[in-house]
Amino acid sequence: MKYSIIGDEDTVLGFGIVGVSGKVALNADQAQRAFQAILEDNETSIIIITERVADMIRPMVDKYLFTVGFPLIVEIPDRNGTKPDRPGIKEMVNKAIGIKL
Amino acid sequence: MAQFNYAPTKTNLLKLRNDLKFAQQGYELLDQKRNILIIELMAMVDQTADFQNRLENALAKAYKALEETVFDMGKLKVQYLTGAVNMTTEITIRSRRVMGVSLPVIETEFTEHAPYYSPMGTSFWLDSSLGLFKEVLKLLGKLSELKISVLRLAQEVKKTIRKVNALEKIAIPGLEESVHYIQSRLEENERDMFILMKMVKGNLEKKGAKAMEKDRE
Repeated sequence: MKYSIIGDEDTVLGFGIVGVSGKVALNADQAQRAFQAILEDNETSIIIITERVADMIRPMVDKYLFTVGFPLIVEIPDRNGTKPDRPGIKEMVNKAIGIKL
Repeated sequence: MAQFNYAPTKTNLLKLRNDLKFAQQGYELLDQKRNILIIELMAMVDQTADFQNRLENALAKAYKALEETVFDMGKLKVQYLTGAVNMTTEITIRSRRVMGVSLPVIETEFTEHAPYYSPMGTSFWLDSSLGLFKEVLKLLGKLSELKISVLRLAQEVKKTIRKVNALEKIAIPGLEESVHYIQSRLEENERDMFILMKMVKGNLEKKGAKAMEKDRE
């Protein structure tokens, strides 16, 4: 099992250096196709996806995040850093269960 | 109104009492489950936030190094060289169960066959970005394990809280109300019967006394 990455050109290039195969996605359509393609080859167990790309196909990503299925998805910031209004893990948890930790 | 669904009979009373006991047991168990899950979640959230920070720092460094590499050698050449890098990452995923939620445990293994390219004509930044991205990948394995676990636990906590609340606020009070209603109806009937019996006894005694008086006359 291996990692795969979906992201912009630079991110894919960077992870390419360490042997992670990736797909470049610049718009929602490409992102969706890349995501589908990675799902279909059963080699990938963790999809690395940049936050910007993940936002383009949010419903699909969330479906895999919250259900018990494979592959696992992890979102990373891209070259321009994290979006400032992005909820952190604590806020996500607070929102999900409605209590403060 | 729950109580009107049941005829006030002894059988129903027994049945409802059993149901009530069952619901209370279920409530206790779910309450425990909720507490355990929340403790687990709390421990993990801090760890995850920590890893997230480390990953972000590592990524920022790695992107910086990559940028320098591209400035130095040009994107195309870097792209060619990625083909030369013969490094594979092997992920092993096992699962760990906490209160019926399966959480992934991820192990990442690198197989390297360095050197990949001639040090002649390649930028020193290429080496450093290779190292940095490897670092990122190591962190990513751990982070994805934690993050996925946190999200799934949170989902389960949410479900459990809903169940606990349903039992606590609706099912148990409803059953208690029904039991109380049937009990008071049964007692009411008993008192009715008691009075009736008393009256019958009184009447019989009166009749008996009159008969005795007649006999004496």
